[in-house]
Amino acid sequence: MDQRIAEQLTEVTLNSSVQVRCGASNAFLVTASLIEPLITEFEMQGVYISASRGALELINTLNEIGVATENVHFIDCVSSALLGGTESTFPNISFIDSPIMLESILLRTLYHLNTIPADSKFVILDSVNALAIYNEDRMLAEYLHTLINTFRARDVLSVIMNVPDQTPPGVLANLDLYCTDLIDRGQVVIS
Amino acid sequence: MGASDGIELLGKPRGPGSDTMLGTPQYKRDRCVTGVHGLDEILRGGIPYGSTLLGGGTCGSGKTTLAMEFVVNGAAMGEATAYFAATEPSVKLLENVRQFSFFDMDMVDKGLINVFDMDVTYSWLGLTKATFTMDDVNALVKAITDIVNTIGVTRLVIDSVTTLCYKIPNDQLIRDFLFTLGKTLATQGCTTMLIAEITSVGMSHGGGRSLWSSFGVEEAILDGIMVLGDIDRRGHLLRYLQVIKMRGTDHSRAKYAVELTPNGVMLTPMLKWGVDV
Repeated sequence: MDQRIAEQLTEVTLNSSVQVRCGASNAFLVTASLIEPLITEFEMQGVYISASRGALELINTLNEIGVATENVHFIDCVSSALLGGTESTFPNISFIDSPIMLESILLRTLYHLNTIPADSKFVILDSVNALAIYNEDRMLAEYLHTLINTFRARDVLSVIMNVPDQTPPGVLANLDLYCTDLIDRGQVVIS
Repeated sequence: MGASDGIELLGKPRGPGSDTMLGTPQYKRDRCVTGVHGLDEILRGGIPYGSTLLGGGTCGSGKTTLAMEFVVNGAAMGEATAYFAATEPSVKLLENVRQFSFFDMDMVDKGLINVFDMDVTYSWLGLTKATFTMDDVNALVKAITDIVNTIGVTRLVIDSVTTLCYKIPNDQLIRDFLFTLGKTLATQGCTTMLIAEITSVGMSHGGGRSLWSSFGVEEAILDGIMVLGDIDRRGHLLRYLQVIKMRGTDHSRAKYAVELTPNGVMLTPMLKWGVDV
């Protein structure tokens, strides 16, 4: 686990929007290092929007390294594209037809946040570069703008993950503008 | 005027009674709060009481869920409500709506939600003909308003009015039926949602005819029009809702994405770059 992420998270407030940059090789480590302190240290509950990989795989991997996932609801935007991908026994997974249904993702997130009893809530979006595969740049920038402001207004901590070198420059620039904090664990590119 | 004067002006309260344009007291009609997530915000507080609203939509767009939620939320606030089911038997309707957490069968048992099968109403009135006459239409309006009066209904849904209007032979008679029904229910303080099935939504190209309703005569008579439809976003159908008209209130005319959650309908503004993908 990357303990520095937990330290950096102590500096953010509930209405913060944190941009987390990671590399292609350390994405899972960063994910685990984010979720673990939010749940155990800060006793938060929240929603994890999973557009990079299937929620089932993610839950199993997190559980294997000892990260509890019962207090997180996963919105899986990937598995509906795979036949049989939505056959899950976990009650904390819901499926979205496609990562192109951006408004549905937002509304489902709001719905699940409403069902969470905790006072302190978070939303993790994993990841902007995965959504960029399916969505046009301008629409994605507009979506991120809406998403960040929606959760800031509701005092829900939003954590936006992205791999900078796989994110369209225009979207990345907007993200820099909208987010209040940055946790940079991006890969160092040696040219 | 210096900068400090400007700040001082901005700091002045501008409540009702102040002499600024923004502070001019405005008359506001009482609202029927729908309780549907996002809809009251779109309508700046709800549907003006006693309005008759057309809820037109394509198949699978969420018309029945929205209408049922409107009725249930009224019942939850202690209002007596009525739902005339013309497209599916009431038993099936209630069975389908039980999956939503907003619905409580107790409300039906306590008489706050009254569901009527339109077929039964027709039989009860002796309206077994394929086509209605003016007298038949009047008898139907009287039967509906009698029920509203007897139970003290303040929220009414007819789902769908299209099925009913198919039995009325011409546009003039449909217009008369809707006008009389709307007028009578309004005088009784009943806010009415008429559900209409439409095949496509928007303006027809060339013909100049709007496609907000089934017969094209409803929109001028009724107080409000709300349409539900789908946007095809690269092969995926995304539901949306748009309020076209609502007399007696300012309202948004933008498209809102609709999500049917276990807790009912939820709305959020549709992404502007995602409307015409």
